[in-house]
Amino acid sequence: MNQREMKTELDLSFILRTLKTTGVVLLIGAAFGLYYLGPWPSLAFLSGGTWGMVNLIFITGLVRVTIRPEGVDTQKALGWAIIKFPLLYGAGYFLLKVPQFEPLHLLAGFSLLLLIIVLKVVGRAILGLDEKQQQNQNFGQV
Amino acid sequence: MDYQSMLSWALPIGVGVAAFGSALGIGRAVGSAMEAMGRQPEAAGKIQTAMIVGAAFIEALTLYALLVFIMLQGKIGG
Repeated sequence: MNQREMKTELDLSFILRTLKTTGVVLLIGAAFGLYYLGPWPSLAFLSGGTWGMVNLIFITGLVRVTIRPEGVDTQKALGWAIIKFPLLYGAGYFLLKVPQFEPLHLLAGFSLLLLIIVLKVVGRAILGLDEKQQQNQNFGQV
Repeated sequence: MDYQSMLSWALPIGVGVAAFGSALGIGRAVGSAMEAMGRQPEAAGKIQTAMIVGAAFIEALTLYALLVFIMLQGKIGG
């Protein structure tokens, strides 16, 4: 693995870590929801969160094949777009039309992913992890 | 103009404005990402990650608007 590949993997691992954290928090939240609110709100929260995670996976795939220095990989981009736009949005519409699911619970699950991204970035900023990483890289170069 | 008429005007306009804003945002973000990648191809991974996060947030804005539309749609009926 050369340095450029390692860097790319390191950067995109942020998305992977976010997905893992969201999955864990989603399961914990759903367990609490099951106890305090009942099965339907909990299931709606879980469905909304899962939908958000799948959406992020599709966005990642789409961005990786379209926005890159080598140019657009048309076939893969079409594949991602064909799956993402009709199927994922169709699934979202279906979730909204389930009578037992409250839109607010779906929205809470979907927003969890965004909240985790924000908290991760705020955490990095407060702890100064990016500066430390930069200092380590500079130290390594010297 | 009563509440329902105002709602029937405001909801589609609101969703339209949100979609238009998101389209502008995504367009600018992609344009800037391509420009940055052209200048620094070695930073492609970082730019892609920033782009993915940005796209997720911009898409969420439109989805929120759409959800509010769906939630309030039932109140329009005559």
